[in-house]
Amino acid sequence: MAEDRASEPPSIPSRASIPSGDNSVWADVSPLLHAACQDLQEGELIHGDNFNLFAAMSALEIMDPKMDSGIACTYYSLDEAIENGVAPVPVSADKTTDVQCVIDIMDHLLACEATWHKGHSLAQTVYSCLYLLRPERTLSHALLHSYCKVIRATCKAILSVVSEARTHEEEDLFTMSYGLPLSGDGDEKCLSLLNAVEETISRQLRSCKASSSKRRVSEDIEQLQNNPDLEEGYCKALLCRLRFRKHFYHLLMSMKRPQGRGLEMARKHIAACISEIDYIKKSSDFLRVNAHEMSKQNLENTTASVYLFQALEYFMKLLQDLDAICSCTLAPSLEAALLFVVKFQKSKPDLVARAHLQLLLVQDGKLYGRDPIFSMTTRAAGLPEVAEMHDIQKNEFMVQLGQLVINLLKILCTNAAWQRRKLGKMLQDWRVTYVQLEMAFKEEFEEASKTSNNKKVCFKIYQHILAWVEEQTYWIAFRFLNLGFELELYSVHDYCMVYWYTYVVLIKLAEKKHLRMSMSSDSAKKKTKKKRDSFKDGETDYQISAAVLFLQSQIYLSEGLSMMFAALRNEHRIVPLQSPFNTEHEIFVQQFELLQKACVPDHVSYATFKESTIHANFATLAICDYFKEAQRIAKEVKSSFANDPDTMAELRRIEQVAERNSIALNVCRAGALDPKLKISFAFCHHPFYATAIVKRS
Amino acid sequence: MPKWKNSRPIYVGHFRSFCCGQEMGHKGAEEEEMENVEFEASEIEYVSYGGEHHLPLIMNLVDQELSEPYSIFTYRYFVYLWPQLSFLAFHKGKCVGTVVCKMGEHRNTFRGYIAMLVVIKPYRGRGIGTTELVTRSIKVMMESGCEEVTLEAEVTNKGALALYGRLGFIRAKRLFHYYLNGVDAFRLKLLFPRSELHPSLPLMADKYESQMQSDQGDTPFK
Repeated sequence: MAEDRASEPPSIPSRASIPSGDNSVWADVSPLLHAACQDLQEGELIHGDNFNLFAAMSALEIMDPKMDSGIACTYYSLDEAIENGVAPVPVSADKTTDVQCVIDIMDHLLACEATWHKGHSLAQTVYSCLYLLRPERTLSHALLHSYCKVIRATCKAILSVVSEARTHEEEDLFTMSYGLPLSGDGDEKCLSLLNAVEETISRQLRSCKASSSKRRVSEDIEQLQNNPDLEEGYCKALLCRLRFRKHFYHLLMSMKRPQGRGLEMARKHIAACISEIDYIKKSSDFLRVNAHEMSKQNLENTTASVYLFQALEYFMKLLQDLDAICSCTLAPSLEAALLFVVKFQKSKPDLVARAHLQLLLVQDGKLYGRDPIFSMTTRAAGLPEVAEMHDIQKNEFMVQLGQLVINLLKILCTNAAWQRRKLGKMLQDWRVTYVQLEMAFKEEFEEASKTSNNKKVCFKIYQHILAWVEEQTYWIAFRFLNLGFELELYSVHDYCMVYWYTYVVLIKLAEKKHLRMSMSSDSAKKKTKKKRDSFKDGETDYQISAAVLFLQSQIYLSEGLSMMFAALRNEHRIVPLQSPFNTEHEIFVQQFELLQKACVPDHVSYATFKESTIHANFATLAICDYFKEAQRIAKEVKSSFANDPDTMAELRRIEQVAERNSIALNVCRAGALDPKLKISFAFCHHPFYATAIVKRS
Repeated sequence: MPKWKNSRPIYVGHFRSFCCGQEMGHKGAEEEEMENVEFEASEIEYVSYGGEHHLPLIMNLVDQELSEPYSIFTYRYFVYLWPQLSFLAFHKGKCVGTVVCKMGEHRNTFRGYIAMLVVIKPYRGRGIGTTELVTRSIKVMMESGCEEVTLEAEVTNKGALALYGRLGFIRAKRLFHYYLNGVDAFRLKLLFPRSELHPSLPLMADKYESQMQSDQGDTPFK
């Protein structure tokens, strides 16, 4: 578009050249328009029959600087810019200035790359650099050429990971690459050229170090630039930048290897990248002092270094997130994988890291590209390995369940906002699949019961899988509710009902977990008893109750919070919302719409919520101290998780919140009539369990 | 409204509401610092959108306060199709606030949508935005048979969030990187009571059959 404008003077196409179509005849309307203009009043419009105001909103106003981004350009085409010397090769005839400018370009590109990762378009960020757009132009400049090559290759690699992991609109802008030259000639060999350039500069560095120590004057090596005093500094500044690119590219390639085989290697490159980032930071003082005149004159130099540091910060975070992914044990366990993603998401990783995790988790429809989802599901359901071979995996609803599991893994890798929405919608699918499986199993069971041997196996498989599907459904519902806190979707007025709903969901989750685990322990018991009567059974039982007890402590905490908010309201410490347009009932319907649609859990409604909270007051809370109970259980169960630092930390947080709320409640109770007592809530100890703070104003 | 987003060029921003209310429990300091104009509530005059002469006033106000580049067609879409849902607030002849809305069928629900709400700074915090402008629009939507009302607001716009919260809106969704500046938005929703849930409430106005709910409504242009 812009190019057309520049190359051709505006001309009116010859009218005769427009041929008439089957249903259309082209006619010159200029006289008509001219006549109509004479008659038009302000605000009037001439339009065809198919005109509508909705479509008109998409109109762009040409020459409005807010809408027409093109008018701000100095050049209307790439050729015009290049002809005017915007991107010269070499950047400067003076070798020192040239090196300085190349470093500026490198740093600028790094900042652009970070901006791209953060959700801007490739065209407006990395590819705003003219050197990237015409790969052949830099051929004569090995340093610049190698750097541009590796940048293009890196962008291409990241683009493919994000496109492959594509799950929603978040990537739309990211993956739009229009017709950009993402792969120049021989970009796949970008590393060999980069290595060669690195080798040359290393030799130049060695040579200048040798000559400065006056041990030996090497004549045969051409210097990087003209000023011998600055040679070492510039060599070092370039080397860390080149090496960062090299290791970063290696890292991406390692992570791409199937079945997570390159993770260990990737971690080595991550460590190398991090140390090069350190060197880049260290080189900035030298570069600032010796900045070339061009950048010294304007203030851009300072802003550029701010951008560089921000970009380096972004890359540090990205590297840490990628390192977290590479630390995955790849244990063949669905439960471990789900917990791993949830833990990974706590550090709020950006799109690029999340896309990498998703591709690691699900490859070729298998967990880590290695373990079939069916066998992972049966294992998660606590079934012995024989079940993995069972015909049941051919059942269409089992196939459907496998797809749901894959979708769940993918959804858990998306940003929290999207994730919550998708999890909420997914609940219905899990419910429907449960019902379908139940029906299918009944039919198959009747069929199988003809042979008594098969009957037992089938029955067990059905039981386990159904229990697991239910448990998983409530796990999703729990996460859905929790994410609402992270996304700040609830207001103080909603807390009472949200904690109440969390409480009822947690009860179900604990119940299903207990059922599923006791089924597994039954089969485990039978197995061990066959081998020998052992006292190990007791230990297994203890393990089971620990996981359920962990939930139990959260059940008490949620119930306690819900009752605390109800009591505060019933005792008039919190003024209820008085909307002129709706009531608490509508708020409830909206907040839990997706859960209610999926009947998660069954028989729960606004009426049940009201029934259980309407009578809550400080006196009843004194009798049944939920927070004390939560605290007690959390403390007790800790010993079972001595080897699990994440659960330990979570238990500590639960304890803290419970303890603080217990105290706050006592203060409220004691000062029930004190109007100066002000109560507020904060998420200072836990991301979704609120801590009450009581102050005398 | 995702449909709009897709049909519009990417660099045209989303509608948002901008109004400063007080945050719950945080009265005082902020309020005193604001350079408020002295006026009596009775001095503010509210009028429904009355024609093309009101358009520049609305555009001027929105352009001042919101960064998104709306073309005149965007304003016309709203005020021509749903003039009864747009209101202006005047103080001594000067336009100090406005609300622009629409309503229509959306996935089998008849829903209202608040596109823009602006009250100029010196007049904020006195209920012009909430009690008067927005409630007027919402009332008309309710009477026209809307089942719910939605809008988007920046997650950082605490004033607007508190304002709508008081009216019974919930934060139904968070929209990741919704605005051009990279800020997330909340999709706020107000659900009206359904008569079967509240048998004691009088029946809501019958659905406004003749309302031009669809986006392809007739245009009043020449």
